[in-house]
Amino acid sequence: MWDFLESIENSGFSTYIRETPSVLGYSTVLALHTFGMAFLVGLSGVIALRVLGIIPELPMKPLKNLNVMIVVGFWVNAITGAILTSLAIRSLLTNWDFYVKLAAIACALVSLVKMRRYAFGDPAMRDDAPASADARRWAKLMLFFWFLAVLGGRLTAYATYIRIQSAEAVGVAAILLLLLASVLVRHANRSRSAEATRARASAAEPVTSTR
Amino acid sequence: MEAFLRYWMRWPSVEHLIYRYLWVWGVCQSLHFVGMALLIGTVGILDLRLLGMAKQFPVAAIKKLIPWGVFGFVLCLSTGVLFITGIYANINIHPYVVLTSDVFLQLKLLFVLLAGVNLLLFYVTGMSKAVDRLEAGEDAPPLAKIFAGASLGLWIAVMYFARLIPSGKFQP
Repeated sequence: MWDFLESIENSGFSTYIRETPSVLGYSTVLALHTFGMAFLVGLSGVIALRVLGIIPELPMKPLKNLNVMIVVGFWVNAITGAILTSLAIRSLLTNWDFYVKLAAIACALVSLVKMRRYAFGDPAMRDDAPASADARRWAKLMLFFWFLAVLGGRLTAYATYIRIQSAEAVGVAAILLLLLASVLVRHANRSRSAEATRARASAAEPVTSTR
Repeated sequence: MEAFLRYWMRWPSVEHLIYRYLWVWGVCQSLHFVGMALLIGTVGILDLRLLGMAKQFPVAAIKKLIPWGVFGFVLCLSTGVLFITGIYANINIHPYVVLTSDVFLQLKLLFVLLAGVNLLLFYVTGMSKAVDRLEAGEDAPPLAKIFAGASLGLWIAVMYFARLIPSGKFQP
């Protein structure tokens, strides 16, 4: 098995991509991998922003048509990812961070499909209607897994102890951000309900009779 | 001028941060990529709409995404400044040398500048206000399409040259 992986790594194609001094080799494959990521993550992130109600003004149904660009982004990423893996397949397959990245990508794709199913599943749904709770849940999961995939992708190049330190730092930052977000959401909900109570009270006030 | 730039571009506090906390560089790189995805996702969708590829959206609705694109740009800019000012801690080469000898970094910065000029012209020529009125299915004016095509091309060029930066030649 190891010999087979070695033969992939030392094949003419892999050697050319890895060792050519031309910018059209490794750097261009890496750049294409970045383009694919930007379109895949960026556009699915835009759908998530609408599903989560952060940008309610975006009409829901047309977002479905972004699928074409998302699929193109995915395939560009998958093909260039396979090429990049073939350049150092033996070290990547013994790198746990690489598996974290692949698992995160798989989970993000499942979340994307589920989010789309819940968000666009009902053909009678109005364009300005809020998305269902299920769609919102999958949108949050998708954003989390995309972040994990990007982080995992970047950290594959680093030593294990740096990866562990990075994971700890991101974990602490995520907990702090979640606490901050929950305080802000609670504050926003409280002021929204106070406003609703005031509006109800003013509507219930008896109109002064003129008789 | 060179002495001034050499003094101004090297930030010992940032270098210390990178030396002391080994996770800073990798996490900032990840945030740089998150910012880039946000920027391309939001600005890209507006550019595609103006080019006529996502006509189902009213332009005013898509413009609500722009603050997120600005957030993405700020994320890229702040982490990018950290990479430049702290690069000595990573590769032991003065940032002034990197900036003056890496042609790909220079091209990336040039294209970022051009993308900024393109955006400025989009507002100054009144195209931004003109496209605000476009409802779903309506075609953008030709000048707006030129700005949108240039924007998309320039940001793709920025990403391309950014990926080539590590293969640039440094001449200390």
